[in-house]
Amino acid sequence: MISYWQAIVLGLLQGVSELFPVSSLGHSVILPHLLGWNIHQNDSFFLTFLVGTHFATALVLLGFFWRDWVRILRGLGRSLRDRGIGAEDFDAKLAWLLVVGTIPAGLLGLLLEHPLRHAFASARSASVFLFLNGLLLYGAERLRRRAPQPERGDPDRRIARRMSFREAAGVGTVQAIALVPGFSRSGASMGGGLLAGLSNEDAARFAFLLATPIIGAAAVLKLPELLGHQGAGVRGQTLVGAICSAVTAYLAVRFLMRFFETNRLTPFAIYCTLAGAACAIYFLS
Amino acid sequence: MNRPSPRVVAALALVVAVALFVVAAIYWAEPARSLPSWFPGHKSGSSHHHVKHGLAAFIVGLAALVLAWFQSGPRARPT
Repeated sequence: MISYWQAIVLGLLQGVSELFPVSSLGHSVILPHLLGWNIHQNDSFFLTFLVGTHFATALVLLGFFWRDWVRILRGLGRSLRDRGIGAEDFDAKLAWLLVVGTIPAGLLGLLLEHPLRHAFASARSASVFLFLNGLLLYGAERLRRRAPQPERGDPDRRIARRMSFREAAGVGTVQAIALVPGFSRSGASMGGGLLAGLSNEDAARFAFLLATPIIGAAAVLKLPELLGHQGAGVRGQTLVGAICSAVTAYLAVRFLMRFFETNRLTPFAIYCTLAGAACAIYFLS
Repeated sequence: MNRPSPRVVAALALVVAVALFVVAAIYWAEPARSLPSWFPGHKSGSSHHHVKHGLAAFIVGLAALVLAWFQSGPRARPT
């Protein structure tokens, strides 16, 4: 079972690592092993706990981008009403980019989440994949088409103008790599955004917008488990963890939106590579 | 090669959407043992309901329905 102290630590970690491109699932597998806690990724109480913290993260993202979501949903409604996307309707274009990006990630998540979670549940494999996640982030920065530079104007307009539906589907598909503990969903989608020609700031923004329906839907789908018998004995810890997760998720998204105005993914790539390598050596020795 | 007309794409997408909604309903209504043998997830003797398979079929069906809606709209029609 999970204690309140463990719930606080894991909740704080979840909020940060879900949005930082460093794999929240990987960290939630590795950290308990490093600290010698008897918590395993496939324990039903831990899955229930994760549902709560993910739900909190999704709510924070929804709240942070609330005004944007209202605009985006209005654009979606307009395009459905008009049966087409107006040439200057950037909100509608962004809405459909998000829909197109969400569908492949959602489908792959529905079909592969369970088998992948069971196949790669060990801290060893999570460490190796964390190392590979670092290389992936570094590779995305190296392969990007344009150098990062501060940009003016409406970021949603820039995203809608630069990104094609094919690229949005590609970004959505690579997000599914995060079903493997150690790979980061936000890292994969930010990397995909960079390869599609977005700046770091816009890639981060698109990744966070894309994250909201995916994380939210995954949590809502499993919410009955939290409210049912699986949640017995862990609801209090889950609530505490969810509050901690919400606080750090809010701070993380605020920090990252400013960080990526002028910075790259490289620091996270270095962290993942070094931490992944160190943990892999530790667990294999 | 000529692209198919929006009307044809809309009709095909509509058929696919309806078929996928039916598939989703079967997944939700029938246990794994009662699914047609060619359905992914069919398993004789299993009482498990493949809710996620049904949800996946429903989402793709919804996407096909949206495609049909856009393709049958005024912007898709040649002027």
